Parts: sequence; structure tokens; C-alpha cells
Amino acid sequence: MEEGYQSIADRVKKEYKIYISAFSVLILSELIGEIEVNFGPGMLILFPLFYGIIIGVLLGPDLIGFFKNEEVEAASPLVLVAIAPFIVNIGITAAQDLPLLISVGPALLLAEFGNLFTVLIALPLALFLGLKREAVGATHSINRETNLALITNVYGPNSPELRGTLAVYIMGGLFGTIFFGFLASLVASTDLFHPHALAIGAGVGAGIMMAAATTSLAHIYPAYADDILALGGAGDMLTGMTGLYAAIFIALPLANKIYQLLEPRIGRKKKSTVKKEETDYEA
Amino acid sequence: MKLKEWAFLFGFIAIGIITTNLIGYNTPITDSLMGVLILCSIAFIAVCVSKIIPLRLPMIIYCSILGLLIASPVSPIGDFVSDAAGNIDFKAPLTMVGALAGIAIGASVREFTKLSWRIVVVALVVMASTFIGSVIIAQIVLNITN
Repeated sequence: MEEGYQSIADRVKKEYKIYISAFSVLILSELIGEIEVNFGPGMLILFPLFYGIIIGVLLGPDLIGFFKNEEVEAASPLVLVAIAPFIVNIGITAAQDLPLLISVGPALLLAEFGNLFTVLIALPLALFLGLKREAVGATHSINRETNLALITNVYGPNSPELRGTLAVYIMGGLFGTIFFGFLASLVASTDLFHPHALAIGAGVGAGIMMAAATTSLAHIYPAYADDILALGGAGDMLTGMTGLYAAIFIALPLANKIYQLLEPRIGRKKKSTVKKEETDYEA
Repeated sequence: MKLKEWAFLFGFIAIGIITTNLIGYNTPITDSLMGVLILCSIAFIAVCVSKIIPLRLPMIIYCSILGLLIASPVSPIGDFVSDAAGNIDFKAPLTMVGALAGIAIGASVREFTKLSWRIVVVALVVMASTFIGSVIIAQIVLNITN
């Protein structure tokens, strides 16, 4: 977070292009408004939030090139500033729904273990597709910032585990928001789950993904809109506090166990890119 | 980031939220003003708190807890804060978040195209199974505790 700006004037001088563009993108996105697209059993609800992401990415150094790498880097901390008022608002909504939050407390806390499904389902798949140690990093969690920090810490910055984590992190950043909005509507369309359960599941540990999922859900279940926001926000907050510990003490050891068990059986013959350092991961 | 810079940036974000609320949700600027002021002030207090408290929790968690405490029934200004914030559509702050997030990840595109299709499949399954796993557990626990 330390950009080393001398003063606010210095910051504005370096970042004014971001401010003006973000503001213009915001106006454009709002003028387009919400669009609903029926998509199989689910519904793709396009919100101004998504247009913002897409236009922002298009302007970036790898595509149109309107923004340079330094500007892209400077925009990262600004995302945190922008999402803060949203999270405050969710907290305020939660205050009115306090009795509900308390009554579903156990479900909120235990939903954290849903992360273990990720290891159980995605890890075997990754091994089947031929990934080696990358698979452990990629599938131990949904791989947001805290997980990136954790894996760097445990396996080191040049580890295959971190490559896996980084890959899912980038995917989540580029597509996670849109994917989550769609996923939420798709799962809702099965009618198997109560809106409360769906909302709790939306709190997966990335504010912007939670926002996309709860936005879609609130749109589908207008009568539950406030509940959905409160539960999604509370789930996200709890994951923020417990997620790191769940990853260290449960998900990562579990992922390593499954890796040892399954890799010799379903892993592709192809030699691991990792050579033989596979044994020192528990250090 | 220094507090002065946070304050400045919250000012910028506030203008964004008011604009979104005006264009997207037809809320007059005068109605949004107090709500945005409250949201951004609480967020700013959260930043201050996160700098003072030595626990290494993300600032976002303080935002959530402070919002909840200040609007809760025990707070003397709870009703006022809830009413004012009620004028801000919950989606209104998100458009600016999206625009900035898009700019921030713009340099990941090349990195992304280098990934093999396998990791793309894995990433989608990771996201889907995390969500669905949590939903299933929540549904089961809700059924039991109901």
C-alpha cells in the first residue's frame, strides 16, 4: 500500500487519468443500465459493475493500451478505497437484520467448511488433467489475496504451488465477478436451496464476488433482498476472519493428503515440472 | 497510505456514488448527500481504527463491524444512520468498484492467456465448488437448526 507519494497533489498528478477514466466509465456503465439475458436455466444479469470491469480491462496495457503498467498498479489500492463504503453499507443493513444473523449463526459459521468441497472436487480433477504440485495451491481455497500471501509464505515465491494459486487468483480477478453472478442465478434456478443458504454461500471471501452474487440473488428474490445482503456480507466478514486459519489448519493439510493419495493413481505419467522437491512441503 | 490521502480518495469515491445513485437509481443529489457522507465517514473511521488496533485484520472487516455497531439498536444514532444510508442503493458504490477493478487487473490479461486451458477449467471448478459447497452446508445446517 505504500506508494510513496509526496503529497495529495503528487498523487493526483500521477493518477488523474485513472480518476477521469473511472468516472467516465461509471457514467457510461450507468447509462447502459441493467440487462437480463436468459441463459439456459439460469439468468445472466448484467450490472453496471460488470461493464466497468470489462471496459477497464479493455483499456489496459495488454489490450488497447490506454493505461500503462504503473497506472494499472496504482489502481489496485483504489479498489480497496472504493469497496469500503459498500462494505459499511452492508454492515448497516446487517444491523437491521441482527436477529436473523443470530438465528442463522451456526449455518454462517459452518458454511466455511464448504471450502473443503473445493479440495475434494477440484483437486482430483486438477490431478486428472495432469497438474502436479500446482494443483495443491490452485485448489486449496478460492485463492484470494490472503491465500496468495499464505501460499507465498508456506511454499515460497518460486514454488509451483504459488503458480497454481496465482492462476486461480488471476482467473478470479478477470472472470470471478461475472462468473459468480451467473453461478448464483444458475444455482438459484434449481430451487433446491433457500435464499438464505444461497446468500450465505455468496460470502466466499472476495468482496466483489460476494457483491456480484448477492446482487443477482437480490434481483431474483426481491422479497429477501435485505436478508440476502446481510447474510452475504456477514458470511464474507466471517470468511475474512476465519478463512486464513481454515486454510492453514484444515484445507492445506487435506489437500496435501489427497495429493499423496491420488497423484500416483490418477496423475498423468508426464514428469512433474517440480522434480523431486515434492516431499518438503510440510516443513 | 496517509490518512489525508484516504480522506481525499473517499471524497472522489463519494462523488462517484452520488453520480451512480443519480443516473442509475434516479435519487436526487440532495437525498444521497447525507447517506454518502455517513458511509464514507464510517469507512474513514475504519481506516483510522485499523491503523490503531495492532491486530492484522483487513480494513474491510472494521468497515463491516463499525457499520453494524453504529447502525445497531444500541447506538444512539442507529435510526438516523440507517435511514440516511437507506437512500443509497446498495449497488450504487459498486459501479466505481468495477471500473477501478477493471483498470487494476488490466495487466493480467497477457499472463492469463499464457495459462493452459487446464488451469482455466480448474479455476472455474474451484469457484463453483466453493460456492456450491458452502450453499449445501448452509442449507443442511439451516434445516437442522430451524
